[in-house]
Amino acid sequence: MFGYVVANMEKLTDKEKQYYRSFYCGLCRTLGNRHGKISRITLNYDMAFLIIFLSALYKTEKTIETERCIIHPFKPRQFLYNEITDYAADMNIVLTYHNYLDDWQDDRKILSFYAAKLFEQEYKRTASKYFNKCAAISNCLSELSDIEKSGEPNPDLPANCFGQLMSEIFVLREDEYTESLQAFGKSLGRFIYIMDACLDLKSDLKNERYNPLAGFSSADFKSILNLLMADCTETYKKLPIEQDNNLIENILYSGVWTRYEAANKKTKGRQSQ
Amino acid sequence: MISDPYKVLGVSPTASEQEIAKAYRKLAKKYHPDLNPGDEEAAKKMSEINAAYEQIKSERKYQNSAGNSYGYNQYGPFGNYGGGQQQRGDYSLFDSVKSYLFAGYYQQALYVLSTIQDRSAEWYYYSALANAGLGNKITALNHAKTAVQMEPNNPKYQRVLDQIQYEGQAYQQQSQQFGMPLSAVNLCINACITFYLAQMCCLCCR
Repeated sequence: MFGYVVANMEKLTDKEKQYYRSFYCGLCRTLGNRHGKISRITLNYDMAFLIIFLSALYKTEKTIETERCIIHPFKPRQFLYNEITDYAADMNIVLTYHNYLDDWQDDRKILSFYAAKLFEQEYKRTASKYFNKCAAISNCLSELSDIEKSGEPNPDLPANCFGQLMSEIFVLREDEYTESLQAFGKSLGRFIYIMDACLDLKSDLKNERYNPLAGFSSADFKSILNLLMADCTETYKKLPIEQDNNLIENILYSGVWTRYEAANKKTKGRQSQ
Repeated sequence: MISDPYKVLGVSPTASEQEIAKAYRKLAKKYHPDLNPGDEEAAKKMSEINAAYEQIKSERKYQNSAGNSYGYNQYGPFGNYGGGQQQRGDYSLFDSVKSYLFAGYYQQALYVLSTIQDRSAEWYYYSALANAGLGNKITALNHAKTAVQMEPNNPKYQRVLDQIQYEGQAYQQQSQQFGMPLSAVNLCINACITFYLAQMCCLCCR
């Protein structure tokens, strides 16, 4: 479930765009350094958001460097990183490994099996460092899998479960922000899970697969998603974040709708043809 | 409440969970409003199928939980509502739901609600309150909407629906001020694909 927590690039200034990208590039390089070159294929903007968000809250110092890289050999790129980048890279390995493993276990995709194998060693190494967190994440995922297998008609139950998982990811350490970050992660996780269900509804129905929103019609989606995102922004407002607010709010109020709007445009385009 | 929900799904009451889920998904493929736009008959049939499926799932869930040793927690500290509920009539059950809600025992309130056969507008109203208390936002919204649909002139139901929707509407307004993303192809996806291809090249060249 990656690719939902991204910025709306059209509403960013050129400077902001470059700044946003430099978190992404910083994460890319950190992934390569910490987990091997191949781990860079798991790169995504969702994890860049985690870095921006936590760095803004903790006012963590950032290192900026400019360099050429393999992907952009002719145009030097800015890299921005700090200790939260390391943490996000580790969490990315954990989530990616589980993602591939689930795809293999649920859908028997053979490519996912090999991909999971590819990251197994890195996952184990990382999991030993964050033992409690990774155990909690595994628990959430196995509970989620049980809920989905039972065909649960109440979408709140699996959404809360995925929210629990995200709340683990957002807690960097135990301190005065732990509770607020848990609440933020939980509400964002709920939104991501339900957004994913909204976008998959038609194909899940056609293929007779589980979808938590099977009992709803797409006419209800917008109000449900607004409700969940409102929860998320309420917890954001309570956190003392005083830097990068424009970028963070761009993501929370606009960017999170990117794939939803794109999917709607596609259906509308098809209908008008 | 449907007298025989199994008949609606076309399965036997002894069917396994998997068989029931399978039957439901088959029917959903046929009648879901998103796959039958504008078809009122299909929409009506789908809500009947949804109600039957929910009823079966909830009956089975509470049967399971009543059988285990945690039964006490389900009934809560105010005494056992499990036994003589049918004789007491549904009105007194709403009273106990109310007192649970008032005390903040939302899970217990939901349990008592699950034992009430007749799903009236009032039932949906209380269910919306209990689910809202538990953070089950989607169910809360859905049940508040149903209560209002069943009794559009009851201001109490409308008020709860407004309350549940208030924050979402405030968010939507702010969100509209930002403007929605326009381009279908996001930079991120492009970057990822470029990345993936480049990475594949690296692997091959090594």
